[in-house]
Formats: sequence, structure tokens, C-alpha cells
Amino acid sequence: MKKIIELKNITKSFDGEPVLKGINLDIYDNEFLTLLGPSGCGKTTLLRLIGGFETPDEGEVVFLGQVINDVPPHQRNVNTVFQKYALFPHLNVFENVAFPLREKKVPKDEIEKRVTEMLSLVALSGFERRNITSLSGGQQQRVAIARALIGQPQVLLLDEPLGALDLKLRKDMQVELKKIQKQTGITFIFVTHDQEEALSMSDTVVVMSEGKIHQIGTPIDIYNEPINAFVADFIGESNILDGFMLEDFRVTFSGQTFDCLDKGFGYNEAVDVVVRPEDVDIVSLEEGQVAGVVTSVTFMGVHYEIIVDVGGFKWMIQTTDFVDVGEHIGIKLDPDAIHIMKKSEYSDLYGDYSFFSDEMEEAVEGEVKA
Amino acid sequence: MRPIAKVYTALIFLFLFAPIAILLVFSFNSGNSLSVFSGFSLHWYQELLHDTNTLGALKNTLILALSASILSTILGTAAAVGINKLRSRTMRSAMNTVTNIPMVNPDIITGISLMLLFVFAGRLMGLGTSLNFWTMLIAHITFCLPYVILQVLPKLRQMDKSLPEAAMDLGCTPMRAFLKVELPEIMPGVLTGLIMAFTLSLDDFVISYFTAGNGFETLPIRIYSMTKKTVTPKMYALATLIFFAILALLIISNLMDEETAQERRLAKAKRKKERKPLSPQAKRTLALSVLGGAAVLALAVSFAGRAQQLELNVYNWGEYISDGSEGSLDTIKAFEKWYEEEYGQKIRVNYSTYASNEDMYAKLKSGSVSYDVIVPSDYMIARLIAEDMLLPLDYDNIPNYKYIGEQFRGLYYDPNDEYTVPYTYGVVGIIYNANQVDEADIGDWDLMWNPKYAGRILQFNNSRDAFGTAMYKLGIDVNTGDKAQWDQALAELQAQRPMIKAYVMDEIFNAMESGEADIGAYYAGDYFTMADAQADSVDLQFYYPPATNYFFDSMCIPSCAQHKELAEIFIDYMLSEEAAIANAEYIYYACPNALVYESEDYIDEMGEEAMEILYPPMDDFKERYNSYAYQNLSDDILSYMNELWESLKIN
Repeated sequence: MKKIIELKNITKSFDGEPVLKGINLDIYDNEFLTLLGPSGCGKTTLLRLIGGFETPDEGEVVFLGQVINDVPPHQRNVNTVFQKYALFPHLNVFENVAFPLREKKVPKDEIEKRVTEMLSLVALSGFERRNITSLSGGQQQRVAIARALIGQPQVLLLDEPLGALDLKLRKDMQVELKKIQKQTGITFIFVTHDQEEALSMSDTVVVMSEGKIHQIGTPIDIYNEPINAFVADFIGESNILDGFMLEDFRVTFSGQTFDCLDKGFGYNEAVDVVVRPEDVDIVSLEEGQVAGVVTSVTFMGVHYEIIVDVGGFKWMIQTTDFVDVGEHIGIKLDPDAIHIMKKSEYSDLYGDYSFFSDEMEEAVEGEVKA
Repeated sequence: MRPIAKVYTALIFLFLFAPIAILLVFSFNSGNSLSVFSGFSLHWYQELLHDTNTLGALKNTLILALSASILSTILGTAAAVGINKLRSRTMRSAMNTVTNIPMVNPDIITGISLMLLFVFAGRLMGLGTSLNFWTMLIAHITFCLPYVILQVLPKLRQMDKSLPEAAMDLGCTPMRAFLKVELPEIMPGVLTGLIMAFTLSLDDFVISYFTAGNGFETLPIRIYSMTKKTVTPKMYALATLIFFAILALLIISNLMDEETAQERRLAKAKRKKERKPLSPQAKRTLALSVLGGAAVLALAVSFAGRAQQLELNVYNWGEYISDGSEGSLDTIKAFEKWYEEEYGQKIRVNYSTYASNEDMYAKLKSGSVSYDVIVPSDYMIARLIAEDMLLPLDYDNIPNYKYIGEQFRGLYYDPNDEYTVPYTYGVVGIIYNANQVDEADIGDWDLMWNPKYAGRILQFNNSRDAFGTAMYKLGIDVNTGDKAQWDQALAELQAQRPMIKAYVMDEIFNAMESGEADIGAYYAGDYFTMADAQADSVDLQFYYPPATNYFFDSMCIPSCAQHKELAEIFIDYMLSEEAAIANAEYIYYACPNALVYESEDYIDEMGEEAMEILYPPMDDFKERYNSYAYQNLSDDILSYMNELWESLKIN
């Protein structure tokens, strides 16, 4: 696959506050790449560097082999869909979409043709003469996409474009965006803090925090093989426990030794153990590898979310079976439910659900003692 | 509560709009009284159309307002964009405060400081005269700028910051992004700023007054300087027209605001219904046409009249020259035409006006202007000569000087006839309502002290003139240096005070015309203006007390003059029969020119009664003048007099 953008050792700070700390990233042609991370992690700044609205303090932005650090936005073959769409209120739908073509002095009849095509691509045919302010959020979103695509950029940058939409509309637009990307074959660089969005749409997910990239991978890799406690916690729900490797494929945590699928760690090396809540089986006390007390139960629709106290560590478990608060249950883990990570600076920061409800905890403890 | 609230609202509106309503009504008055509406007529509007001086001032005002508003809008918008881009909060609020200073600063201080700056800069650059159209323009831009910034800044703040970025992303250079996207967004603010700047510049008096150069007179300055005589009703007509023009601008600007507000509401409601895309387009067209029109006008104006030609700067009292109204001769125009025919060269007279000798003196003293001809009064001439501020005249260039009557030469202020050519003179007399005042009581100043008419007497609201009445009455020299005699006069004024209806200047016209007061002292020429406009129940008559005040206004050339010879030609032309008669008939004061007072046409035109009053017997004119006219008082006596005057007015 062809590399379209390379970011080499990029650093950037605002008013002495470092925002990006040595970013290296390759982006390939035809790829749907998502920059995912909590707000303030630097993902929008990275996008603006590619768009040309910021210049890096150090490092290089390379576009098809050319360093473009100092190329202004209007000379980059890259377009952006802004967070709040940034549609031009004094122009109607047609004129907004036609704007880049008019700037390029494209002939009138060609403009007419291309705008009509583009509006049908984003399902807005018949809206040509409408005023921007009379459109719904979803419609404005699609005008913004049409406007950004009509100049046939090689890369489309999307800065949290779905953030302002309500849940239902967001789901629809996710599907639609993916469809448009497939149809046009343009590289999409998508910024979001919503991990579900990132997983469902992307070819590649880049997880960032505090100006650094933690992990680059497919959604499945990122979910199943998180590289550290931060990623494990940020992507989905995770129980992260302290453990140590006995040998390849054998790990000890919660006072028990389990079979697992990981290898290559040193003897007795301390590790972080990740167990996804949906991978935990609830069984009877006798069958369980570990035993615990249910401290809270929340009905979530598809499943229950329950918190189980196992020797002071609170597990989150998602199950379709109903258990009651106060019930003593057994927990069983299959080897493929267990993922081992090296210790990192993020260890012990995430993965314990005891903060979920202290009040409930005390009440349950009282009961247990009685 | 409700009816009370309504009444209250009605009262507020009455309070706000009654003055304008009165102005409007009296602009259609067929007579020239301010108190009696004698019938509907467009007379004053016609008069206005023929008053080339006022129209010239109006044109100047419009040129200035247009250029100032357009330039300040461009500069202000750029400044607002800059301020908005500042990242640091403290910097931004600091910039805001600094730009707002000219707005909160009192006009008078802005005016004085700007004048100082221009004079100072002019001296540094070695220019003789530093005040001109351009300084006035700079001054106007200075005070308009903050208003523009104040209008544009909020629009920039409201605007989505990513709009210009989006434009650049879609292929615009930063400049094009501003023009194509940012500017349309902030256009309502820019236009409101433009309109505000225009109206502010249009009616500014104080700052203009300090920064005006010679020959560029704006309307507010012209109207102000009319206060020597009364403001004529054609000014009501002009004011009415301006009021409606401004009203129209205001309505346009409000409509535009209304439109944006409506858009915002629509956006909020997220209306799905199709809406005619009229407003943005219409707004843009309107904005462009306003700006375009204004720019074209400004360009046309700046190129008009730039051809190299002679210029003469004349500085005279307001309404003190025949200006072409009511079929009279436009003396200035006539001079320009005559000069071109005579000398084969175009000349332009820059004519501007002042309201008092002191105003004129201050302007000359500032050293920032250059006038070629001025028309000060006698005591001021004495002062100017003493301070070496006048040039001796070359009477060979003023052959018509020979028509100045013998008795009007060698007057005290210019005993050897070196500096002056008399223009007009006048004598103070007493005006009374014969329907109320007993014939037996008239004849001397005593009438103004007669307890029979207590509460019906008007006294000058001006220290020198008021003291004058008392001193003539007591037989004291009005130029005395003896403080005891001033005390004596004060006592006389104090005795009179309980009988006085009011201390007045221009208000005397209305008070006498309407019969509100029965006795007052004023100039003979003005008596006719009052008699013309008197109400039916009033019969105004006039007499001279034996000792009374005489004044002379004479044409002089100040030492700052740059075209002395031209000035002498101008003065000579003013003495020619045609110009002198036209001026005398217009001004209605006595004229010392034999070509006038011996002219059959003039005497016919004025009538016997007027001639008798305007030109009282003249055998001992010079002696009387030299002993009764006001002379320059020493600083000590002047401040003593003013102290006494204050004590009179306060107690």
C-alpha cells in the first residue's frame, strides 16, 4: 500500500505547554484512520498540522514524499470537515458546495454538474436553494462533507464531525460516512473521543493521550490486545488486575493460577492482566475459580452490569443471567478471556470498579458482617 | 396603574420629539418669526436652495462625513480583526480600553488636543498653516474609529472561528478568505459602524471647530456662527431635511439588524420549511451598493476642484455678506466671476465664518490657520494692532476707499487709517412696544429703569453691553480705568435687577416680537427684523438715547495672510457699488460707503423711516464715536468688570 502522509517526530507546544511529544505516524492511501483519545490529547492539533493550520515546532509533515511543513492550507490537496461544520451562512447549500470550485475558476456548467452529483452522493438532492440555517444538524453535516469532497482531495480530515448529533443520527451518519469513504476511495483521517465510533468505522485506530501515540492497530487488535492499561481502559470496559507470569501460558492473579494464551515474559515477571467484562462466566461457587459477592446490579437493556467484590477488588461483569445483590457467586475464565500486558506507567490507575458506588459497598459490607 | 404608565410614556415621547416637531412646523412658516405661524409655505426651502454658502457648507459636511466614515470603517474593521486575533486576554482587553478612550473622552479635550498636535506637527514640518481639510478628516476618523470597532468586534466574536479556516481549506488565500467569508459575516456590524460614523461626523461641532482650517466650513460651524444675528428659518428647513435623511439611515440600519435577529431565531427553531434566500443576497447587494456609492462619491469629491487656481481665505461674521438668497446678489460668486474676467485667472474664495471677535482672535492666535481678509470689530482691531497681528494696507490697491465718508476715517482704533477699511457700523438704541409704553417716558436710558414697566424690561446678557447701559445713563466713560466708577455702574444695575424680565442676547427677538417684553436695547438694524415679525398686538418703535454705543466692523488683513494683494483687490471689490449695496441691504446695518448711503436705489429700497433710524444725524459722528465706542479695556479692569458682573448675576 502507498504511504500518503508520513508524520516524522512531530512536536508542538502552545505557550510553552507541550501538546504533541514526538509523533510518528504513517497514513496509507485509501485508509480510514481514526485518531482516538480523550480531549486534550493532541489529536485535533495533529489534524490541524495535516490541514496546514498549524506548523510543527520540530519534525516533518510529508505528503507523497514532499515535506509540506510550510505549505499553506489552500495549497494542500487536503480538505477538512470542521467540528461545527463551518458552513458559510451567507451562501445557500448549492453555493457552499460550489465554493471550492468557484475559487478554482471551474467552468459554470461543470460546477453545476459536479455539485448536483455531490449532493446526490450525500443524499441532499433538491436542497440546492435552501438556506444553511434552515437545515437540520445532520443535513448541515452532509453539506459540509459534500463541500469538503467536491474538490477531490486526496485526504479528507474530519474533526469530531458527529459530536453535535444525537445518538440515533450519529449511528446513521457513521454508516453513511463509511459508505462514502468506500465509494470515493479517499483517505479519511477521523478524529474522535468516542471509542465505539472509532471501532465501528476505522481500518486503523491510533490511540493517543497526553501528546503521545500509545497504539496503532486494527480495531480488533486494539480491543483484544491493548498494549497497556490506558488503552485497555479507554477502549471498552476492562478489569485490570495485578499478576505475574509463572511461565509461558501460565499466569497468577487473584490468588489463583490460570491458563492463558500469552508468552514471552520473564519468570515471575509482574504484569497487568486484562479481563473484559463480557468474557467472564458466572458459575456456582463450586465450579468457580474465584469466588465473590455481588455488590450492585444495573440493568442495561441487552445485559446486566454487575459489580462483584473478589477479596477487595471490584470486578465488572456483563451477563445476561440475573443475579441478586448479596449473592455469593463463582467466576470462571477461559484462557482466551485473559490478556497479559507489560507493566507501564498507567498500571494501577485503571481497571478497578470500586469507585462505582461506595455507599452500596458499605451497605453490602454491613450485611455480610451481620 | 396602566393609564398612568401610558400617560408617562406619552410624556416621554412628547419631551423627546416636541423640539423636532416645532422645528418641522416652523420650517414651513411663511413668515420669519419663531413665535407666530403665519401660514404654510415652502418659502424657506426655496431660500435654502438659493443659499450657495449654506449649500457649500452642506457639501463640505457631506464630503467630510463620507470620507471620514468610509476611512474609519475600513481602519476600524481592520483594527477589530486584529484585536480579535490577539491570543492573550489581557492584551485584548487592554487594546479595547485604549481604543475606547476617544469615545469617552470629552469632545472638547479631543478637539483641543488634536489641534495642538496638528499645530505642533505643522511647526515641526515648517508649515505656516497646519489646519486644513486633511487635519479635520484625521480628527473625524479619530473619533469615529472606536464606534466602528465597537460595532464590528461583537460580530467577529459571534462568528464561528473556523469559518475563515474553512475558506482557506477550500482554496482561499487568507485575504480572499476574509473578503469572501468573514466580511459577509460581519457586514451588518460594518454597515452599522459606517452609518454611526457618518452621523457622528455629520453633526460634530466641537472637534471640527478646533481642527477646521481656513476655507473649509462645515454646516455645524456655519450654523453656530450665525448667532451674531438670528438663525434664519431656512436653517429649520435644512435641519428638517437632515433629520429625515438621518431617520432614513436609522431605519435602514434597524431593518438590517432585524433581519439578522430573525435569521438567528430561524436557526434556533431549525425550521424545515423552505425560505426565500432573499436576505443574505439582498444584504450583500445593499452593503456593496452603499459602500460602492460612497466610494465613488468620495473619489469624485477628492478629484473635484483640485485644478490649480488662486485661493483667497476670507473669515467673516456669520450671515454678514449677501449670499444670493431672496434674489439678492451672491457677492462671493460675483467677485470670483469679476476677478476672472478682469484678470483672466480663476480664483476661489474660501469663505468661513465666526460667531464672536473672541472666537476669531483665538483662531488667529493659534497660528494654525491663514486668512487673508478678516472683519473684526473696533476694540478687537485695536488689540490686533497692538499685538502686531495686522498688516498695513496699501491703499493704492483699494481705490474705492475714496467713497468712505470723511466722518468714518481716523477713528480711534486706527487713527492714521493704516490698517482698516470700514465695512458696517451700528448704533445701539432702545426698542419698545408703543402699545404698552407711554410716549412721555421715552427718550433716554431711564426707560430701562422705569418701575412702571417692572418685569417687562430686557437687559443684555453680556457684561460689557449691560454695564454700558448703566454708564451711559450715569454719564460715565465706558472705557474708564477707575474702579469706583465701575462700582457705581454695578449699583445701578443692581437697582435695575428686580425690574428685569430676563438677561438676553438673541432671545430678544422672540421676546419683543411676541410682546412678552416691552423694552429692550439692541442694534438699529435688528430692530427692523423684529418689527417685520411682530405680532398683531405689538407695535415696536425705536429711539436713540443721547449717549449710546457705536460699533464699527472693518475689513483688515491679518499678518498671517498669504495673498495680501489679492486680499486688497477683494476689499476694493467689496467697496464697489454693486457689492456694497447688496451687502448693506442683506446685513441691514449702516454702511459707511457713500456709494451706498447716497444711492437713490438704496434709499428707495430701504425707505425713509429705515434710513432715518439706520443713519442718525452725522455732523459730530466722529467725536461721538470716539467718546462712546467701546475700547480695549486693560486686563485688570476687564477682570474687575467680569467679577462685578458675576456678582450681579449670582445675587
